[in-house]
Amino acid sequence: MKILIVDDSSTMRRIIINTLSRIGYSDVVEGDNGKSGLEKLAQGGIEMIITDWNMPEMDGLEFVQTVRTQNPSIPILMVTTNAAKEDIVQALQSGVNNYVVKPFTPETLKEKIESLLG
Amino acid sequence: MDQSEIDALLKAAGTQPAPPVPSTPGSLGGHEVEGRVISEIDAVTAVTERETNKVMDQLDLISQLVNRQQALITEVMKQSGAQDPAVQEAIHQILSAAKEIQDKVFGAMDLMQFQDITRQKLERIVFHLRQIHDYIVELLGTGLKSEGERASISRTIQNTGTTPDEKKADADAVVEEFLRSKNKG
Repeated sequence: MKILIVDDSSTMRRIIINTLSRIGYSDVVEGDNGKSGLEKLAQGGIEMIITDWNMPEMDGLEFVQTVRTQNPSIPILMVTTNAAKEDIVQALQSGVNNYVVKPFTPETLKEKIESLLG
Repeated sequence: MDQSEIDALLKAAGTQPAPPVPSTPGSLGGHEVEGRVISEIDAVTAVTERETNKVMDQLDLISQLVNRQQALITEVMKQSGAQDPAVQEAIHQILSAAKEIQDKVFGAMDLMQFQDITRQKLERIVFHLRQIHDYIVELLGTGLKSEGERASISRTIQNTGTTPDEKKADADAVVEEFLRSKNKG
């Protein structure tokens, strides 16, 4: 299972990668904004996306909307500090499958990933 | 973090803190001050991120050492000389302590999320500074407006705490409500 992590914070990417490896997912690809996320996605083999919202160049919302025009079924989890109800609804309407507000526990990330992978 | 710590961080990053700009009557000098403050905030953010990653490196190293120790102890358990119940009990206790250390290391890594949250809070301050800068430029009709696109900012960032999963229940409720109404529709 290859997972794409898109976040402009290298610390955050590292924390997510660390959590993923603890729950058995070590095949990870990284992007630091929506644009580089799309480039990594185009290389193929990605089965799940974990993305931040607030990033330079292309934010997570635009990234998700673009991904959905190409791939309607890939599971997408948004992990962000945006906690307002309207933000969560906007993300879901854009094609995000589930939502985690930072800071999170590894248990929450695990729970969301497992529910997305069914 | 006090000023001396910030100065030390800036020095380590190769960015000297700017000297205070004297305020002279008739000369605002505001654009420069704001630009300098923004670049100093950016430098602090970059240095903090770099240093946080160094802490993560150390934690990674500790984690690897604990793993190695666990593997070695597991091997020792198989030796004929280690079959005495008292020795086995002691080894189990060592392994249990090693697991506890490993959990604490992972916990410390997870706590490093504070760096990203602090970075975004600083980004919000930069956003307001740029607004003030652009307002002054427009008011005086001199200088250049802010350039360069920055990351969007969470409207709730100032309320974001450091307690993990503080907003989980609220976010889950919104997701559930959305999915329910989507399934109905």
